Amino acid sequence: MLRLVRGQELAAGQIGTHFPITQQAVSQHLQVLHRAGLVAERREGTRRLYLLRPDALGPVRSLLDDLWPDALDRLKRIVEEDKRNR
Amino acid sequence: MTPHLQVTKTIGASPEEVFPYLVQPDLLLRWIGTWVDIDPRPGGIFAVDMGETQVRGSYIAVEPPHRVVFTWGIPGNQQMPAGSSTVEIVLRPENEGTVVELTHRDLPVERHSDHEKGWTNLLGGLASVLQD
Repeated sequence: MLRLVRGQELAAGQIGTHFPITQQAVSQHLQVLHRAGLVAERREGTRRLYLLRPDALGPVRSLLDDLWPDALDRLKRIVEEDKRNR
Repeated sequence: MTPHLQVTKTIGASPEEVFPYLVQPDLLLRWIGTWVDIDPRPGGIFAVDMGETQVRGSYIAVEPPHRVVFTWGIPGNQQMPAGSSTVEIVLRPENEGTVVELTHRDLPVERHSDHEKGWTNLLGGLASVLQD
């Protein structure tokens, strides 16, 4: 869930489509994350939008844990594509 | 002991073909960051922005086509100030390809234990769902 709202602001409803739990449960999770200071919450009309706080204390490590595997996947894809296209 | 993180990936190209993607700004930008400014020689700057996150460090070693080492940090971040951790990327030929071994050393110690405890308690058994 934190990964979903890393760098992009999403509405609770959009986040919910990624999880096999009820929308109410998703909203409860998001409230917990908000109270823990990990995500920022913003209201827009009737929607609540969530974004991972880049300055949150905890996620520095979890961002890094994702960063390198994702980055090396991209490196592999790009190098191999370029090689094919040469 | 400070934690470190290691990621390995096999790429279907030789180390000579992969290495430029580690040291040429235009090629580096294609797989990491949204803006880069690098001077790939020992002591040279390593600056990459990832969205709003600014990563800053400097090169320690540049050894084509097998090894690059640079420091890594986020200015103003107390856990991980600029240059506080070190990234080593080693390219090893294997069959027709290259094994990329990336090691990120001297990472900040995991969250303050109090914070971590609070976080674990708050989430309870929901952790696995949240991490998906």
